Amino acid sequence: MDIAIETINLTKRFGDLTAVDHINIGIRKGEIFGLLGPNGAGKTTTIHMLATILKPTEGTAFVGGYDILSESEKVRRIIGIVFQDTTVDRNLTGFENLWVYGKLYGLSGSYLKDRIVELLRFVELERWKDVPLRKYSGGMIRRLEIARSMLNEPEILFLDEPTLGLDPQTRVHIWEYIRRIREEKDITILLTTHYLEEADVLCDGLAIIDYGKIIAIGSPNELKSKVSGDTIYLKIAHEDGRKIDFFMRSIAENLNAKPQLLRDSRVMIVVPNAPQIIPQIFRIASETEITIKELTYSRPSLNEVFIKLTGRSIRDESGSIMQLMRLRRAIRFGRR
Amino acid sequence: MVSPINGFIASYYLQVKRFWRSKSRVIGSIVQPVFWMIFFGIGFTKSVRLIGPAVSYIDFLIPGVILMTIFTASFMGGMSVIWDKEFGFMKVVLVSPAPRQMSLLGRIMGDATIALFQGLIISLVAYPLTSNLNYLAIPIVLGVAFLVSISVSSIGITIASKMRSFEGFGLIVNLISMPLTFASGVFFPIDTMPDWMKIIAYISPLTYGADIARSLMLGISSMDIMTDIFALSILTIMFVSMALIIFEKTTIE
Repeated sequence: MDIAIETINLTKRFGDLTAVDHINIGIRKGEIFGLLGPNGAGKTTTIHMLATILKPTEGTAFVGGYDILSESEKVRRIIGIVFQDTTVDRNLTGFENLWVYGKLYGLSGSYLKDRIVELLRFVELERWKDVPLRKYSGGMIRRLEIARSMLNEPEILFLDEPTLGLDPQTRVHIWEYIRRIREEKDITILLTTHYLEEADVLCDGLAIIDYGKIIAIGSPNELKSKVSGDTIYLKIAHEDGRKIDFFMRSIAENLNAKPQLLRDSRVMIVVPNAPQIIPQIFRIASETEITIKELTYSRPSLNEVFIKLTGRSIRDESGSIMQLMRLRRAIRFGRR
Repeated sequence: MVSPINGFIASYYLQVKRFWRSKSRVIGSIVQPVFWMIFFGIGFTKSVRLIGPAVSYIDFLIPGVILMTIFTASFMGGMSVIWDKEFGFMKVVLVSPAPRQMSLLGRIMGDATIALFQGLIISLVAYPLTSNLNYLAIPIVLGVAFLVSISVSSIGITIASKMRSFEGFGLIVNLISMPLTFASGVFFPIDTMPDWMKIIAYISPLTYGADIARSLMLGISSMDIMTDIFALSILTIMFVSMALIIFEKTTIE
């Protein structure tokens, strides 16, 4: 199968902060590929480099066969992009926003007009085409941007957090559009997300990215098979370290499992069948004088994959928010 | 093949359309210079006699204020660069295959057109205030003003490319445009200025624009009209080139 996007040691540093660290991924033509990772992991920076609006510090990438460094203009012609933040002019109508965009891509005349109407119909905004965007909802603007990104009939579409900040119902709606784009238009789609279910439901291939590095790559099912069985989460009372240590060892010996101590006195244990094991965990806890304050378990999901790889949850924002703030600051001051 | 002219059209259309859509900008851009003319012009005419030319102050002032309106409006055009950076539309422009120079020129021309429109309105508003000005020269005056507008829009866009906040831009523009306006012979002739002020006058496109306007409408001027046009053309080329260079380097974060 043909390769649509290939990155070679793609790297971006802002000052002394490495936002994207020697990324090597290959994306096949016609697939929906996801970059999954917490905020500040380097997903947007990667997309910006592939879209040629940010120069890599090191390495390069080929988009549709064109080098992003030496053939950036050709790359720009064959890509469409929906940025993470909205990039519309709210004083203009939906039609006018698309018209300006079409002009920037060299389209004109009745071809441009017909294509705008066709795409607005595709995202079910035809009735709204002459309404200024001030009156649109967040979901409608996102749909308009998706329509806009396809105006120049791109071969490759970049979607940066396409459903960020949207309510669950709208999110499902957007997913349907993305699937239909792939089915009807034969486009390769690279999307970034920090929503696990989005990556799981939508993507054929996934790369999990953390602190600028790819830590796992594969289809959602392949990745989930890295975590075999159910995952049990415990929250235990603050005890002294020796007690916890003893508890962990007993669990390991008795259940033939590898418990992992997470932050905030939480413990993760992967077992083949959680309901059978849970009574034994309580028994071991009372024997080792550990108080279990909370116990939950879950079927395998990408979150468990992420935890297994990084030791923290993808929804665990506190660590990554700091990373994000550092990144933003580095970009701000590194620019001059 | 993407025709470069399309990038120009897109940006031009965007600038003009936006101006039309924000009624407050249309009204605000006209009201302020009207206030200058009415309060300053009428008020000063009663108490000030210019040294040299035997003309009333309001006749001296009107051609200058027409050009000043265009000057200020052009400067403010840079605001849209900040706007586009803030609300993301700049990314769309930068990621498109349209050459940046073309979209910049479209932007400048769009801003210049808006500024000229405002200048025209002010000329019409000023008409009843005087009977000594040659209004037949207005088309030529606006033609010259177009050069002023292009050069000043370029300055505005250059500054805006380096700024990130509306407040910062407003502050810098005030800091630059106030002295340029006062030293440009709009309110008093440059002949009587001290030398240091003349230096400011000579680098301001408004000086030459106002001088030409006064020369054509009132028959008095500080410099030869060919000198004015020559200097104005040089400044225009200079400022447009500066904008092209700076805008080329604009990045998104």
